[in-house]
Amino acid sequence: MTDALVVSGLSKRFGGLRAVQDLSFTVRENETLALIGPNGAGKTTSFHLITGFHRADTGSVSAFGREIVGLRPHDVCALGLARTFQVAKPFGAMTVLGNVMTGAFLRDRHVGIARDKAREAIAFVGLSRHEATAAKDLTTIDQRRLEMARALATEPRILLLDEVMAGLNPAEIDQAVALVGKLSARGLTIVIVEHVMRAIMAVARHIVVLDHGQKIAEGSPREIVENPEVIRAYLGSGYVHAPGTGDAHA
Amino acid sequence: MLETVAQAVINGLLIGGIYALVSIGVTLIFGVVKIVNFAQGEFVMIGMYITYFLFSTLGIDPLLSLLVSMPVLFVAGALIQHVLIRRVLGPNDMPQIFLTFALSLLLLNLSLLLFSANYRTVHTFYSDEAIHLGGLYIPVAKLIAFVVAMVLSGALWVFLRTTDLGKAMRAAAQNRDVATLMGINPDLVFAVAFGAALALAGAAGSLLMPFYSAYPLVGQVFVLMAFVAVVLGTLGNVIGALIASLMMGVAESLGIQFVGADSGLIVVFAMLLLTLAFKPTGLGGGRMR
Amino acid sequence: MAVRWTIPALLLLSAIVLVLPQLVHNAFALDIFIRILLFSFIGVAWNLMGGYARQLSLGHAAYFGLGAYTSTIMQVDFSISPWIGMIAGGIVAMLASLPIGWLCFRLRGPYFTIATIATAQALMLVFLKFRDIAWGAEGTTIPNLGSSPLMMQFETKASYYYVVLGLLAIGLSITYRIEKSWMGYYLVAIGEDEDAAEAIGVNAPRIKRDIYMISAFLTALAGTFYVQYIYFIDPATAFSFNISIEAALVSIVGGIGTLWGPVIGTVLLETTSALLQSWLGSTTGGVQLTVYAMILMAVILWRPTGLMGLVSEAWQRYPGRKPAGARAAP
Repeated sequence: MTDALVVSGLSKRFGGLRAVQDLSFTVRENETLALIGPNGAGKTTSFHLITGFHRADTGSVSAFGREIVGLRPHDVCALGLARTFQVAKPFGAMTVLGNVMTGAFLRDRHVGIARDKAREAIAFVGLSRHEATAAKDLTTIDQRRLEMARALATEPRILLLDEVMAGLNPAEIDQAVALVGKLSARGLTIVIVEHVMRAIMAVARHIVVLDHGQKIAEGSPREIVENPEVIRAYLGSGYVHAPGTGDAHA
Repeated sequence: MLETVAQAVINGLLIGGIYALVSIGVTLIFGVVKIVNFAQGEFVMIGMYITYFLFSTLGIDPLLSLLVSMPVLFVAGALIQHVLIRRVLGPNDMPQIFLTFALSLLLLNLSLLLFSANYRTVHTFYSDEAIHLGGLYIPVAKLIAFVVAMVLSGALWVFLRTTDLGKAMRAAAQNRDVATLMGINPDLVFAVAFGAALALAGAAGSLLMPFYSAYPLVGQVFVLMAFVAVVLGTLGNVIGALIASLMMGVAESLGIQFVGADSGLIVVFAMLLLTLAFKPTGLGGGRMR
Repeated sequence: MAVRWTIPALLLLSAIVLVLPQLVHNAFALDIFIRILLFSFIGVAWNLMGGYARQLSLGHAAYFGLGAYTSTIMQVDFSISPWIGMIAGGIVAMLASLPIGWLCFRLRGPYFTIATIATAQALMLVFLKFRDIAWGAEGTTIPNLGSSPLMMQFETKASYYYVVLGLLAIGLSITYRIEKSWMGYYLVAIGEDEDAAEAIGVNAPRIKRDIYMISAFLTALAGTFYVQYIYFIDPATAFSFNISIEAALVSIVGGIGTLWGPVIGTVLLETTSALLQSWLGSTTGGVQLTVYAMILMAVILWRPTGLMGLVSEAWQRYPGRKPAGARAAP
């Protein structure tokens, strides 16, 4: 089992704000890692740093042994690292099929082949019946599915998912969890930023917790849930009590 | 030699005051409404024509016509924002760009149709007066223009800092959605911002008339200066626009003095190119958003 | 569009367009047709970059002028055929688009537009000032060689018509090929959301640079044609802001980012302009642009997708049609 993604000492300041400080974690191949933390913890910024949308001040990120800090986002994607955005960014004027084909063109420039690959990705996320719909006419949830299909069409080995479950009802969360499971079954390495605890517990065996840009805890779901630092970060010191006495909270 | 430089600097500062009025308007609109007003120069032109006609038909001094041009243009600005601009605000910037561009084209060419390309001048009792200060020659008309320009800029700055409406405008500039949640009516705020910006343009027009000729294309000269100053001074930053405008006035003046009579534009372009090449940040040159 | 009547309609249209100069001999009318074809071509060239990729340049006159001056200098100073000069002009324009693009693409949105305006104006200034390269502000006429096809000079207007028709056909076919290919999708993606495009592997800077080169090349060809047609060149004409405006305008009015948009837009605008001219006599300063400005405002406020948008939406009402290409119903 190789290391798919190694983040080491990653830091980024915006003026006076230290968005990410000395972040380090490793994701093994085909593992699903959850990156959690209160709002403003630096989770999405970390994604931007990893995928090249922001240039890290210090630190390194390597994907399957290849250093990717300093690469532009399109090169990062070409190396096999795809991402979705917290607020979906569909190409509104294009159809669902068109959107996903655009992703597929990374690997093969033939329109026919790209179309077939796109259809596959669309079917995978369950959007086939909307293939000809304009992306701007989709519901928010379908737009998120589209984001995922589009990212999948680039044939990534590592997929970064940014809050794909926000605002979903329980049934939809189950569907999304199942989807993530299917992705993992295909061999993908996944890093998922999420707030929905239920989903995290269901998909991730390995969790990293951020707060104010720093990693405050790392471990299995059980370890995280009982970690006093994590409790303090989310709920405040008043809720920290001796380990083993409390119940896991969702 | 020093005297020549000093004179050039004075000249530059004086006209820089006018550039400041125009560029502050552009930066205010950009900061609050988040669009670039391509037609800003045409409103300076309109201010000039209003002043010209008030003078030639009623004998009203340009400084007094400030009392007309500013309110008229304020109302015009609020109306334009409410009726036209509001309809193209959205994620796509193509309509925004071309709407104000079309407005610019329309006003310029209407003016050409109505007033012909002839230069119109206004000659007041102080148009030729100058103060002589230690070997320096300071035209009274330009000095008045500069002083009034600084007063108006200062007034705007005070307004933005201290009044509720001004603070509301700054809030909307920083985060429109949160500002709306706080009970700030974005439409009102935008209308005031647009109105204020156009009023400043109108003021620039009135202040220019004693020493500058009005003609349909005059706005184009000032708007180019304004855009460069806004870029240099950081988009949305009123003080930045002011300082940059004064700097550009001086640079242009020094250029005219030491390089050549028509090097003004070249200086502007050079400054623009340098900014673009080395520090376009804050202009969307960076990555996200 | 449903294949059923599109192809016969196109064939009919092509036939009419091809035969037109044989049927119409009125010089004024032919001049209008030539103008329509020319500005359609300029619009098509602009549309590749401004329509599909939404890089809204208002400085394309820079390339028009560069093309015009390159071929003219080669012709007048070195007696080289404008046919060769046309290609050379295109290459000059392509090369110029590299530094200009590098500079301007550092900005986004309206500031990109402003930067393009500034570069075109700067070029005009250069050509106005430096008489040694290119005759300065007075410009020059090209020697009238009578009928000289090898030097791109013809006796009849009909010949000019066919040349510019050929240019338009080239422009349209390039646009069509690109639109249907991976590049078409990439251009639209960049135009819609450049960051999202980058995230799925689109090398936005390179694509923008490439399409700018193609757009510049084609625009330069138009410049050469224009000089040959009016036998005159000067900086004010060659780098005229009006050309930059019309290039963008016809695409927006006709349908930004569509194949036929620029053509439809040009037909509308140039016909309006010709009508105005005949009603009001010679161009009363400002009338044409006033009307253009009003049309532009109307389009922006009510139908930003242009006339093609209107057509597409009407088309949507018909069941059983298949969506084609990258775009859905706008």
